[in-house]
Amino acid sequence: MKIITAIIIVFIALAFGTSWVVAVNNTHAIKFVVPKGWPQPVYDFKQNPLTAEGFELGRKLFYDGRLSKDGNFACASCHQQFAAFTTYDHNLSHGFNNSFTRRNAPPLFNLAWQKEFMWDGGINHLDLQPLAPITDANEMAETIQNVLNKLKKDTAYRRMFKAAFGDENITTQRMTKAISQFVVMMVSANSKYDKVMRGEDSFNLPQRLGYEIFKRKCINCHTEPMFTDYSYRNAGLTTDDYLADIGRMKITNKPADSMKFKVPSLRNAAVTAPYGHDGRFVSLLSVMNFYRNDVVNYSTTDSLLKHGIPLSNFEIGQLTAFIYTLTDSSFLKDPRFAPPGFENRMPAPPAEHVH
Amino acid sequence: MQVFKNIYRLYFMAFIAEYIFFRTSVRRNRRCHKELMPGSKKLYLTSILKYTVCLLLVAFFFCTAQLANAQQKLNNITLQFVNKAGEKLLNADSIYTNPFGETFTVRTFKYYISHIVLQDDATGKRQSYNNDYFLVDDADTSSKKIVLQTDLNSITSIHFLLGVDSLKNVSGVQEGTLDPVKGMFWTWNSGYVMAKIEGNSPVAKTPQHAFSYDIGGYKKNENTERQIDLKLPRELNTENAQINIEVNIMTWFNAVNEMKIANTPFCHEPGVLAKKIADNYAKMFSIQK
Repeated sequence: MKIITAIIIVFIALAFGTSWVVAVNNTHAIKFVVPKGWPQPVYDFKQNPLTAEGFELGRKLFYDGRLSKDGNFACASCHQQFAAFTTYDHNLSHGFNNSFTRRNAPPLFNLAWQKEFMWDGGINHLDLQPLAPITDANEMAETIQNVLNKLKKDTAYRRMFKAAFGDENITTQRMTKAISQFVVMMVSANSKYDKVMRGEDSFNLPQRLGYEIFKRKCINCHTEPMFTDYSYRNAGLTTDDYLADIGRMKITNKPADSMKFKVPSLRNAAVTAPYGHDGRFVSLLSVMNFYRNDVVNYSTTDSLLKHGIPLSNFEIGQLTAFIYTLTDSSFLKDPRFAPPGFENRMPAPPAEHVH
Repeated sequence: MQVFKNIYRLYFMAFIAEYIFFRTSVRRNRRCHKELMPGSKKLYLTSILKYTVCLLLVAFFFCTAQLANAQQKLNNITLQFVNKAGEKLLNADSIYTNPFGETFTVRTFKYYISHIVLQDDATGKRQSYNNDYFLVDDADTSSKKIVLQTDLNSITSIHFLLGVDSLKNVSGVQEGTLDPVKGMFWTWNSGYVMAKIEGNSPVAKTPQHAFSYDIGGYKKNENTERQIDLKLPRELNTENAQINIEVNIMTWFNAVNEMKIANTPFCHEPGVLAKKIADNYAKMFSIQK
């Protein structure tokens, strides 16, 4: 009997003695998995350790219209999961007060490997990225202070900030770190192409031929495995006289960067139409037609594109077949990235794009 | 506070260990003698008492060591920023005239102060405050007063950075005075606004005749942070000392480069113009005698 009492006392004492350890660390860490053969991510996870609580908070923020001035524009309104987190079928996206954005919304995936954001690379850290659309008059048109005020008034947010960061303090840094935790987990690495590379599947004939053409004519800029080298290049597009977009030069002030834009990844390209920094290309076919017929030789046009890319009709068909193998349908339907509460009611990707 | 918590925990663990040890020894004794040894309860209490005294002693030494560390004599030194337009004190209602005869009003005047260093040339001692970033906002009286704790007895010069170092410009979202919510951060072209003046001038050919200089840029060749070195007129004893630093906005217009509001009412991005204005504002500080 006394032994039992002693054990109980010791147990209670240990529980008390170690309670502080538990109190500090009551979040649940999530592991970020780097796909086999991929480079190390550039995002510094030490500054923002991933937790289930932070991820869930980020997900709620991502899908919350209250981050915009009138409540209508969540991050997710321009970044739709079934379209690999770009705006489906829109050259430019809709913003506050019937405005349009000035550039085509980029799809969101594999952001942990990306050093600079936006078509012109103006944003130098993933955590800073949400502040641009939140405050842009053409997008969510809100102030950071107002967003924080709205979040502070909401009991659910106070609870979730406490769960993720230890107390109910709601700050810009915590909000953006939570959003980063959500979006940085969006890793797309399970397309047919990836399965073929892992030896789990094989290309059919047009896909294999397309891959060969890709390796001869596209790979210099759309480097594997990210399918972009993250460089800024002028692909020889004419300037839209209304948008008058000088691209990278807006950030660097260097004439040599005039009309240069970040090379977009080709992953999930089949579901991210339209294409180009202003969304002028309505289909993959129109992109490839541009490269074989319409590249304009400006002084800053990329040296690899001075004469366009010669492509036959056959090659275009085969390249298209290959690009379709880059669609990662498990990513497009991953319930972790669905709106909170909608995990089992995912909108289906458009039928012609399911593979 | 953390120190006390740790000591308490240590003590608690030791207490438990002692209790278990005592229990086991009593049981062993029982097995040997088939009866509880008469003085064992007393023995137990004495041992607990000894233990407590020992631990309290350890705790006492530990704490005094910590306190001694903290209690090294520290002086408070106050930096008072006095914003002026020429000879007049800056305030939002007044009309000023710049060296080119352009009249203007100032609605907003803000700047970052960081990496403050206090220096005593006599002893060569320096004290740096590398993790403190201050945002001086003319509209906020308390922000114009910076209180620093120093263990230097006297100082002869003060050095600081006007602006925010490049590292903080590339390390994501910061807190405190560096929080982007303060309106001193560009979201579309990441980087801090190191200093800004916004106001109106009849000569500005812009909507509402507004003029605004939001000066930033941290990249190589676009640097707008400026190192400021100010020598005090005489050696200053740091005990309850106050240094008044005069900040003259007139320098923005002509200290090094001519900046007429009529020609350049706006500067809102890093680049050549921003650097020219930065060279001007680098001259705006002086020690009030």
